[in-house]
Amino acid sequence: MKLHLLEPHHGRLNTVIQRTPAELKLGGGLVIITLTVMLPAPATVWLWCATAILGLVVLLSRLPLLFLLQRLLLLAPFVLGVTLVNAFQPAYRAHWCWLVARSVLCLLTVLLVSNTTPFSEVLRVLRRVRVPTLLITTLALMHRYLFVLVEEAERMRRARAGRTFTARRRWQWPVLAGVAGQLFIRASERAERIYAAMCARGLK
Amino acid sequence: MNPPPAIEVQNLRYRYHDGTEALGGVSFRIEPGECVGLLGPNGSGKSTLLLHLNGILPDEPGANGTVRVNGALLSRANLEAIRRQVGLVFQDPDDQLFCPTVAEDVAFGPQQLGLVGSEVKHRVQRALVQVGLPDFDQRTPHHLSHGEKRRVCLAGVLACEPSILVFDEPTSDLDPRGRREFKALLRQIPATKVIATHDLELVVELCRRVIVLDRGVIVADGLTRVVLDDEPLMLAHGLEKPHILFHRHPH
Repeated sequence: MKLHLLEPHHGRLNTVIQRTPAELKLGGGLVIITLTVMLPAPATVWLWCATAILGLVVLLSRLPLLFLLQRLLLLAPFVLGVTLVNAFQPAYRAHWCWLVARSVLCLLTVLLVSNTTPFSEVLRVLRRVRVPTLLITTLALMHRYLFVLVEEAERMRRARAGRTFTARRRWQWPVLAGVAGQLFIRASERAERIYAAMCARGLK
Repeated sequence: MNPPPAIEVQNLRYRYHDGTEALGGVSFRIEPGECVGLLGPNGSGKSTLLLHLNGILPDEPGANGTVRVNGALLSRANLEAIRRQVGLVFQDPDDQLFCPTVAEDVAFGPQQLGLVGSEVKHRVQRALVQVGLPDFDQRTPHHLSHGEKRRVCLAGVLACEPSILVFDEPTSDLDPRGRREFKALLRQIPATKVIATHDLELVVELCRRVIVLDRGVIVADGLTRVVLDDEPLMLAHGLEKPHILFHRHPH
């Protein structure tokens, strides 16, 4: 797993986009995504408008293009994979292109918002618009421990690779399943310890 | 009248769900202001004992032996009051740092105490200054070094202003500089301290008294230099006489 692909880019840059209030960025992002998803095909005018807005944001935020492209490619299969079958049917090809355009615009919006806004700011806005506390806590914990879990998986992968002398695929699958199980057990044990640490500091 | 002992443990027993006996009747008392080292091989019950000191274990307080903190018997009813007095610093800092930013994490304890606004901010800033990380408030925990994470954990506990601090392996995984700095930090804190560790030099430098635990029972309790100087005892319980005690005049 490439840990750096999960890392946000903010912190090092300080442009007008990074300085824009989180409320505005999250609200704007939501409007762009909602319109892109809801407008009936082919909303060509809107697609061009959204592309222009996002292009301008990319320029102003000074986020490297390669940085954004890498993450787009990483995320795209989750959305496009489902509809891949349409690409091979001539009757649905236009529909496929429309889907690709919409998906890329939505993903780009999410990437731009998340890479120009610190996560704690996102949580602050969610708190302000009265999103249920339980959901916010879950999001905060997920974000915090995502990196810990990925690092744990990476350590296990290295330990496995260090003792893998032959690369027989037939053997790899059960080992991989074992690693996934181990990771699950470790995550649940960690959850117990985190809860204990919370209680130790007076969680009610 | 003398003040009550900071911690008084009597005949504490604990058995894990799988039947393994972790503590087999442990009794000791720690006076206010003492700094006590808790030694023992892996699996001797040190961490289990520490978890009993602020009521995380057992699931039913008081069922097997008693724990008194500043004279008050630990029970389900006064769990909250006890946790205000006993701050626990865990071995793995990633277990303890669960908030998106350092400031939010340090603020967690004070907020649970019911504090709000400027008082929380004041405590967070004071705790971060105390651990030597005054400008770390907006940093994310996963970008910190191991030593910095440890110190933020300590700040999170100090922000609750406990009178007793309990540490589980505070210097494990730290580089020599990190160890030295954390040791200096521990020395500055005036609270009653219980430190479970394998770092014998830390114990010699900071603790006047040690308790040695093996297989869930106390096998030695006394002055650090006397207990740690007893080589046969140390070797019998998976420990060793620390290097520092071989030199009468440490260089």
